[in-house]
Amino acid sequence: MELTKNITLGVYLPGKSFIHRLDPRTKIIASGIIISLLLIIRSYPAYGVVFLFVAAAVLIAGIPAGYAFSGFKPMLPVLIFMWIFQLFLYSSSDAKTLFSWWIFSATDAGFHMGALVTLRVIFLFGVTTLLTLTTSMVSLTDGLESLLSPLKAIGLPTQELVMTMVIALRFVLILAEELDKIIKAQMARGVAFDRGNFIQKTKKIFPVFLPLFISAFKRAEELIIAMEARSYTGGRHRTKMKTLHLGRVDLEAGLIMIAFTALIIYLILITVPPI
Amino acid sequence: MQPIIEVTDLTYMYRSGSGKNVLALNGVTMQVYRGEILAITGQNGSGKSTLARHFNALLTPKSGTVIVDGLSVADKKNTAIIRRSVGMVFQNPDNQLVSSVVEEDIAFGPENLGLPQAEIVDRVDWALESLNLGAYRHRSPNSLSEGQKQLVAIAGVLAMKPQCIILDEPTAHLDPKGRCEVLENVLRLNRDEGITTILLTHFMNEVVHCDRMIVMDQGQIKMTGTPRDLFKLADQIKALGLDLPPASQLAHGLKLKGLALPGNILTLEELVNSLCQLP
Amino acid sequence: MPITVKDLCFSYQKGTPFEKKVLHNISLTIDDGEFVGIIGPTQSGKTTLAQHFNALLMPHGGSVTVNGYLTSDPQADLVDLRLKVGYVFQNPDYQLFAQTVGEDIAFGPQNQKLNKEEIKERVAAVMAQVGLDYDTFNQRDIYALSGGQKRRAAIAGVLACKPEILILDDVTAGLDPRGREEIMTVIRDLHQKQKITIIFISNSMDEAAELAERVIVIDQGRIFLDGAVREIFKQSAQLRSIGLEIPEVISVIEMLQKRGCVLPTIPLNLAEAIDCIATAYREREENR
Repeated sequence: MELTKNITLGVYLPGKSFIHRLDPRTKIIASGIIISLLLIIRSYPAYGVVFLFVAAAVLIAGIPAGYAFSGFKPMLPVLIFMWIFQLFLYSSSDAKTLFSWWIFSATDAGFHMGALVTLRVIFLFGVTTLLTLTTSMVSLTDGLESLLSPLKAIGLPTQELVMTMVIALRFVLILAEELDKIIKAQMARGVAFDRGNFIQKTKKIFPVFLPLFISAFKRAEELIIAMEARSYTGGRHRTKMKTLHLGRVDLEAGLIMIAFTALIIYLILITVPPI
Repeated sequence: MQPIIEVTDLTYMYRSGSGKNVLALNGVTMQVYRGEILAITGQNGSGKSTLARHFNALLTPKSGTVIVDGLSVADKKNTAIIRRSVGMVFQNPDNQLVSSVVEEDIAFGPENLGLPQAEIVDRVDWALESLNLGAYRHRSPNSLSEGQKQLVAIAGVLAMKPQCIILDEPTAHLDPKGRCEVLENVLRLNRDEGITTILLTHFMNEVVHCDRMIVMDQGQIKMTGTPRDLFKLADQIKALGLDLPPASQLAHGLKLKGLALPGNILTLEELVNSLCQLP
Repeated sequence: MPITVKDLCFSYQKGTPFEKKVLHNISLTIDDGEFVGIIGPTQSGKTTLAQHFNALLMPHGGSVTVNGYLTSDPQADLVDLRLKVGYVFQNPDYQLFAQTVGEDIAFGPQNQKLNKEEIKERVAAVMAQVGLDYDTFNQRDIYALSGGQKRRAAIAGVLACKPEILILDDVTAGLDPRGREEIMTVIRDLHQKQKITIIFISNSMDEAAELAERVIVIDQGRIFLDGAVREIFKQSAQLRSIGLEIPEVISVIEMLQKRGCVLPTIPLNLAEAIDCIATAYREREENR
């Protein structure tokens, strides 16, 4: 039982690679671009290029491939379910039926739709994980804050939003460790989480989530008091210790991103989508 | 001596989870003097935290007054200035550190004060150096020992350059080594930087090193004095649910066995010296 | 239910870039009825070791045998094993989740599918063992308990599963002196009156000295010392070398010995220390 082991999202792997050295804003914008492209890509060759691009980034960042993939493990059942769901439920007028079962029939359109949706989720997750693995939470939020700052003009509390995010992310690991202990504490009282039918299994969630929620609220309350004691009153009068600077690496990354985007758009235009 | 904090007839009531009104502080009057290190002790639930939270305006009095450096805590206009001069460190470092990088966390307070960038950098450097945390400045607090985490929390308050620091059971969750580390640093800051220090604790070994101590029970102050004077009163201390420091406990027991020891022994060294001087 | 550990190795985050070896080839045996203190600096691996005793963790190398069964045997009934080796965590809030004390303590027996009468009997019995009066506390809201009462409720919740071995993981941390004394008394009684094997994990040397009969000192994932409590505390220089604090009652004897007083025994608690010094002084007076 080690829950924290399989969580890769929100973990930061310090390093000195090209990707680590990029300004957080560059990385956020680049991730944003890839994610937007993912939403319009509907062809396998384009996904192939995205795969090569992301894989290259993982290699350059020096993240062990096995570790990068381990984050997908807990998501696997959801991904399979999503695919099956699409396989049976999606259909179009000219779809060919592959096979039928009871009242459901699987079509080739469903097959492709499932594949595309699943690939989209996998890459969305992969890109975000890559971003957080190579960017510390602090520079990530500094970057977000700087990117969002124009929105302050229309009255959006950007600094507060960003602060909330920093804290939420800091507590992901702490709470995961806590969850691990709570599960063990209940296992020690004879709870067998892997036994019983669905209802019995669901009932076993309470002894775990109640203590977790209570503890999370308690921590939140203490944190608020501690922040208040350190004169935190929201973002308005705050200054920052660090300011961000764009460098040569960011220029290089920018050029690479332009080339990549152009290639993907070209591929989207010339390839015929499977559905 | 000039008091930095003056509390007069302070009463505080809150509504408990079951809807009952609980009198957490009941007519408390006390002073904290400039430059001293004051221990506030008492069982859990005796009201020491509630009292201390009035010192930096986290709570405001329901009745009575709390004056910090000439300013009343009850007046909302003073809150910002009071929090600047009185800092507070809490029990669990995990629940008070904001950032995932040590130096960024220490900068949090000065950033809140809206200081210029250069000044923030200077203060962070100074706080890191004062607590010998330089080696950890780029590390994540999660990778530090509990004792070191608590030192980071203290550095975060120190960087705001307060006149007074309140430490609310800062060692309750630490191992003996971490406890030692934190106590040594707190004592040194008080001595070298002249920061008024208020230590809430129920470790009597820590109280021994303080200039003065206050014992609370059921929302009231039951004893005030120097540790040396109060630990003579073994029976009263025990009746309030507290222990004597180990050396005093031993001396007390030996006296009951008929050894002619002085009544005000606080440390093991004093005990051993007194034992060796016995005829 | 003897526990035998052989060449146990364990790493955290195995298979990730954060992998860290925490236990190195640990071998030990704990027999029925023992009161073992496991002490060591924070992060020395004490908790990781103890969590192997009831299969909350599985060895990455070596083996753990409890009552003749290998914990890593796929055929082993781990649920049953975990009931027989109770584990109380440092923070009672990780365990307590029901509304009232009685309901929470009944959680374990309910998992064992006992009938209502049996459950009630058991709850009453374990509440008595930890010194919580049934009529006063059965219906009491968990959140209205003091720190010491909460920990006693947590211990009762584990006792209700009828363990033969009880592992107590730093259960006195953060309590005030009175709460601490309450817990120490409960633990002493459980061992002496209920004859439960107790494994007491702590970083407080004073408590280990006062309670345990045998002490295992862990440092950096290895067994540093293992022996009868008095033998362990005789080696104070070695204990200090790994950053452990010697109980004051022992330090004072050492300081006196350095000043030329000959004191025969190593005291383990306050009363013994007082006796030891007082007797020595009385004898000195009589000799004169």
